[in-house]
Amino acid sequence: MAKHGKLTHTVRMTQDKIDRYGKLNGDWDILHYDHEYCIQRGFRGTLAHGMHNMAPAVDLGLEKYGRDFYYNGRVSVRWTGPVCPGDDQVTVLDEEDNIVGRVDAGEKSTVMIGKSTLRGR
Amino acid sequence: MTRPAEVKVREGATPGTRYAEFEVGAKMGEVTFTITPDIIEEYIRAVEGDEKLYVVDGRKAAPPDVLCPYMTSTLYQKYPPIQGIIMCEVAFNYHHPIWRDETTEIRLSGEVTEKFEKKHHKFIKWKGRYRRADGVLLAEVENTFDLPE
Repeated sequence: MAKHGKLTHTVRMTQDKIDRYGKLNGDWDILHYDHEYCIQRGFRGTLAHGMHNMAPAVDLGLEKYGRDFYYNGRVSVRWTGPVCPGDDQVTVLDEEDNIVGRVDAGEKSTVMIGKSTLRGR
Repeated sequence: MTRPAEVKVREGATPGTRYAEFEVGAKMGEVTFTITPDIIEEYIRAVEGDEKLYVVDGRKAAPPDVLCPYMTSTLYQKYPPIQGIIMCEVAFNYHHPIWRDETTEIRLSGEVTEKFEKKHHKFIKWKGRYRRADGVLLAEVENTFDLPE
């Protein structure tokens, strides 16, 4: 049985966490470890991996739908901004299964939008 | 256990693939890897996953997104990455759990579905399918990324 109401997940990003995910992921793109390069490209700092940022959206889908999410779940996200070291990423799953991830970074505070839902819903 | 790095071409390891070289409709080679209880534990620690969510009918399962770190393996095998790729969108359809108490052999294959330019950016879209060695479909993925050129 699905949970009702708004569900929220909050996580603090750090460079150590980015490095830990990168070590597992095998993704050594310069965007994830070279602060100066990222500043030159117009970012606030190094970037967490997008898939790392998506993990809360999956957990929220599981929290809402339980076993059904394993067999019939769909998570879709578009990344609209970076999550950098020091950011608190707050991810919300609303009643209509919309996902929004935000950090406290002024105008570019929305970092991820999408859905975490069951197919056909 | 297959670590994702073992089946993925590392950024900067080769000259990498330019936009013009991606071919719509091109099939990517099948990549085979195993997901073990160890790698699942490491993944849960890396994403600070919520342990209590990963149970199906009383049996421990992996977080469905444990497949994410392997995602680009089939793509990068055919099209080695350049530095600076930015992921734009991804969608996963989940079909079956990966059990946390056993080793699962997985085969990932896919194809490029679209390439397009928008606002001076160049994008590649592709699809992939993760299947168990016995053919059971675990998940489908669709991904769009931005090539920095």
